[in-house]
Amino acid sequence: MTDTPLERATHRHYLRNQRWGFSWALWTAVLWGAWYIPGTAVWFEQPYVGIDINDSALRLSATAVMTWIHAILVFLFLLVWNGVLGKLKDYGRTIVRFRHISKWYALASLCGGPMAIFGSYMAMGYVGPVFAAITSLFYPVVGAVIARLWYNEKISKQAALGMAIIIMGGIVIYGPGLLGTADSTNDLAWLGYVGGIMSAIGWGTEGAVAARAMDVTDPDVGIQCRFSFEVLFWGILILPILSMFTDIPIGSLIIDTLSSGKAMLWMTLASICHAYCYTSFYKSFTLIGVGRGEAIGNLYGVFAVIFVAAVTLELPEWYFVVGLAFTVVGSFVMFRESAESISQLRDVATEDSD
Amino acid sequence: MKLHQKGFLLVELAKHESIWDSDLIATVLSEYNLSGNYWANSFCVTLDELASAGLIARIDSRLDQGLFASKERVMFKYQLTAFGRTRMENTGLLA
Repeated sequence: MTDTPLERATHRHYLRNQRWGFSWALWTAVLWGAWYIPGTAVWFEQPYVGIDINDSALRLSATAVMTWIHAILVFLFLLVWNGVLGKLKDYGRTIVRFRHISKWYALASLCGGPMAIFGSYMAMGYVGPVFAAITSLFYPVVGAVIARLWYNEKISKQAALGMAIIIMGGIVIYGPGLLGTADSTNDLAWLGYVGGIMSAIGWGTEGAVAARAMDVTDPDVGIQCRFSFEVLFWGILILPILSMFTDIPIGSLIIDTLSSGKAMLWMTLASICHAYCYTSFYKSFTLIGVGRGEAIGNLYGVFAVIFVAAVTLELPEWYFVVGLAFTVVGSFVMFRESAESISQLRDVATEDSD
Repeated sequence: MKLHQKGFLLVELAKHESIWDSDLIATVLSEYNLSGNYWANSFCVTLDELASAGLIARIDSRLDQGLFASKERVMFKYQLTAFGRTRMENTGLLA
């Protein structure tokens, strides 16, 4: 029971932080869901619409080109964000400390970029998009386990229960679409299964690694560091290697994308969503932890279906409502944790032992 | 080049046994030549992040107008934790 004015003010302080943390995580889900519209639409524009769906090498290379241009645009939108917030100097001060600090953002970008995105496309290509969506739903479990083992992030029973209910909701939404899609003649399906695991591990690990870096750095600045490294990984490592050692026309894919007005329009819209989705994602970690932030971020599955329905004017299947109910209940279970318990996210020593 | 702001806050905390947020924020505002409620609140959030992560601990609190709030608000006295000290060593902020 809170009695004195000081206790009431302290409770309000913790409550405000908790609400901000969950609000940022919810924004992650909304913007991630919205991202699917322009992120999918770009595949229906030149030069991507002309790529044979069975030409895996060209399709994956086109994905790499798309992801690189996308990362550059995200970086530009983050420049605007940090410029408005007055944090550009701090970005410079942070990224130069590579050996001790910003290397973690480089690792986060490898996990979330090449590993998770590439894995997700493998899952889509060799098994199917529904399978890819379902495996991605498990990334909060990976993130929460790594955060627990690595730096003792507290995951209460209530948070774990909420996370499980949200994942169950995602499975109810996407699971029925998986039935009947298994193809026993597909000898390469194992590649898709590996890809699915890569995506869950990649995104889960990214959260844990990024939170490790944000222990000593600002989240707005951190996300800009992460995308700086992603731009470099694709731009000076992966794409040049693909260009040099394969006959895939990487250069013309880049030029054709940049000269296609519609492709660039969708790419720009996708990048706006992604830039601020990721900013919200990182900001939520610092206030409610990796496990809770990623679990609420998982509501992207719900928002993706809602945005698709709004654009196509086709109502989702009836079981969407059941899945939606699960995810809402799971979110409330998580939000019902006391604000005081979330004000300290880790089981760590607070006093020197010597 | 100056230290990044969150790093600077940690270094300042390491210099003191414990310190009130208003004093710490006054120091960081002066170091980076900043002023106003926006930056004061921004550093308050940074201190909340550090406390959530377990790098610093709140050891006292009081209601006060302080140096940056127009109305009375809760202010905290912070102390670097053993975990915070270890993390600073890991990240090159403390030798």
